[in-house]
Amino acid sequence: MGLEQFKNRNIGTQNYKMLDLEQVPTRNFDKFKQVVKRTFKGELFVGLWVTLRAMINALFRGEMHAVKYPFEKLPISPRYRAIHEMLRLLESGHYRCIGCGLCEKICIANCISMNTRYDENQRKEVSEYTINFGRCIFCGFCAEVCPELAIVHGSRYENASEQRASFSLFEDMLTPIDNLNLQQEYQGFGAVTPYADDHIKKTPLAY
Amino acid sequence: MEATTLGVVIKAIIILAIISAIAGFGTYLERKVLAFMQRRLGPMHVGPYGLMQILADGIKLFTKEDIIPQNANRLIFALAPVITAATAFIALSAVPVFPDFTIPSWIPLLGGTFVPSIAADINIGILFVLGMMAAGLYGPLLAGMAQANKWGIIGAARTAVQFLSYEVVTGLSILAPIMIVGSLSLVDFNNYSSEHGWLMFTQPVAFVLFLIGGFAETNRTPFDLLEHEAEVVSGYATEYSGMRWGMFFIGEYANMITVSVLSAVVFMGGYNDMWFLPGWLAIILKIAFVFFLMLWVRASWPHVRPNQLMWLCWKVLMPIAVINVVVTGIVIMV
Amino acid sequence: MYEQIAFYLFSMLTVILFLITVMSKNVLYAMTSLASGMVLISGFFFILGAEFLGVVQLIVYVGAVMALYSFAMMFFDATRSIKEKNTSSALVFLLGGMSALVLVLMFAAPIFSENIQALYPMHPEAGNAQDVGIVLFTKYLIPFEVAAVMLLVAMIAGIILAGKKMDRSLTQDMSVDMEKEIMIQKDAK
Repeated sequence: MGLEQFKNRNIGTQNYKMLDLEQVPTRNFDKFKQVVKRTFKGELFVGLWVTLRAMINALFRGEMHAVKYPFEKLPISPRYRAIHEMLRLLESGHYRCIGCGLCEKICIANCISMNTRYDENQRKEVSEYTINFGRCIFCGFCAEVCPELAIVHGSRYENASEQRASFSLFEDMLTPIDNLNLQQEYQGFGAVTPYADDHIKKTPLAY
Repeated sequence: MEATTLGVVIKAIIILAIISAIAGFGTYLERKVLAFMQRRLGPMHVGPYGLMQILADGIKLFTKEDIIPQNANRLIFALAPVITAATAFIALSAVPVFPDFTIPSWIPLLGGTFVPSIAADINIGILFVLGMMAAGLYGPLLAGMAQANKWGIIGAARTAVQFLSYEVVTGLSILAPIMIVGSLSLVDFNNYSSEHGWLMFTQPVAFVLFLIGGFAETNRTPFDLLEHEAEVVSGYATEYSGMRWGMFFIGEYANMITVSVLSAVVFMGGYNDMWFLPGWLAIILKIAFVFFLMLWVRASWPHVRPNQLMWLCWKVLMPIAVINVVVTGIVIMV
Repeated sequence: MYEQIAFYLFSMLTVILFLITVMSKNVLYAMTSLASGMVLISGFFFILGAEFLGVVQLIVYVGAVMALYSFAMMFFDATRSIKEKNTSSALVFLLGGMSALVLVLMFAAPIFSENIQALYPMHPEAGNAQDVGIVLFTKYLIPFEVAAVMLLVAMIAGIILAGKKMDRSLTQDMSVDMEKEIMIQKDAK
């Protein structure tokens, strides 16, 4: 659709694509003929065959689509925005956050609050860092703005707690020091989903 | 051999115990078959392949809080589910579910007792079954009217509409086979088809009409107007919970079994031996097929509007049934 | 013995249920007791061995009372009792008592009179569906046919009343009348 066409899309005659529908019968005899035609056309049996085929395929050809959820989970995209994670520096094990406060500033839901202070080496240290998950809308701005890739979105989407404050503390979001070797680098918002090639049918460039 | 009182009592207990168990098992089958047709697994976690799901459902139903709404008519509200369940089982008393058998003599106390195929072998079995199943629709009707709920009233009105529509079709469709056999007894139907072959092939129109009527009678999917969730919340069962609701369910599944048995006995050759299959296995397979057909149709077809149901029954099916009866009469005379 | 027990049970229940039908002010109770009373009456037929009539009673009245229910659903609030307007209870009692008396006389007559006998006794060898058929198509053929014609008339009347073209006359040409009326109105002006 060109720009001109786009601007005038609600004006005058429009480019509707008309469906090729049959005329609705008005006379009684036509209605009768329609009923007879539909009765003997066998469409109902086509419907029966479709479900039976689905059943046979599901039972004997392994096309069962059910995922037994708590026991098996579907892989989620690296772009998925769930509960935040605080990453550590791989070399020293110290947390990456430098206390710049950008995430607190950019947070549109106003749910991040942090306090910082200078430690004995005159480095900034995070004394308190909480995310109110009652307010967080998981927009991902905090992860995008973070200059150190310190706060990122993780993949933990099953949350249960007596109160939301229980899983909003800095220490809970921080990668445990034991699992430092398991820490994965956040791929960011441009990250491609796994097996993306299989899902793409035709690139827009082909047109 | 003559049917003794003991044999009849045993038969009644068999019907009550087995059919209500099968009715419970029917819910499991329905969930499984529907799930497979939608490429799901269905109940899987209670017992092997979810077989114990009925038990879990039963425990849930029994322990659920039994609520009676404030403005409801308490007596009728409590009575309605009993009507559905009771009439469903009374109807089964005149249906030959299994062939006659004698309890083997090595069993203590009951050994040598003759158990008839029908608990109450009345000469007009088929009419009795149809009449009793028709009386069963008082359950939904009274339930809908007693519960002081608008969805319930709509469900009750739909019950009346559906009843008055399909009853004519079922009666007229079964009339042509009755004329051919010349008896109203279900045992005679069975004996006739052992001599002359299945009535399904000599009376295909009546068979299709009876199936359609049977679907309407048991509120199965193309005609499940009474409790269609998308339209009237749950229709007549909106305010019901716990075991009262469970009784509606048992009644519905018992009715499904009755219709399956009726179509198996009347149209599909009954409990006669078939090729290499013994009679009892043949009838179980036939009943299972009709039961599966009901689930299959539920998975496949959309349901009709109430006015479409009335249009179908009065303007299409009833004339066809009458023509069928007239043609059958002419053929018999000539 | 079983038959006697069943008879007294059924008769007691039937009388009680029909009393409720007459006395109750709640339409739901009245209709339900009517329906169950009708079902219990079919029990009498079963006791007498007239199974066919019993089942016919069951089917016919179950359907008929179901139609009554649909009217009750339209006219009354089923959860409340109805305020009755009784103009003359003496008249009601008189008429009701008279018809009850006539009914009792009619049904008690064969017990006391030797002259009234069944012309077509039951054949034990044939089922009673056959008996009913034989009697209907020999002795009562004319009443049977008359009833059939009456039902046909009622059906046609019902179809015409419920038809969509109720505002137009089927026998007269209404357009002529309309033109006349218009002419009269013009003249008046």
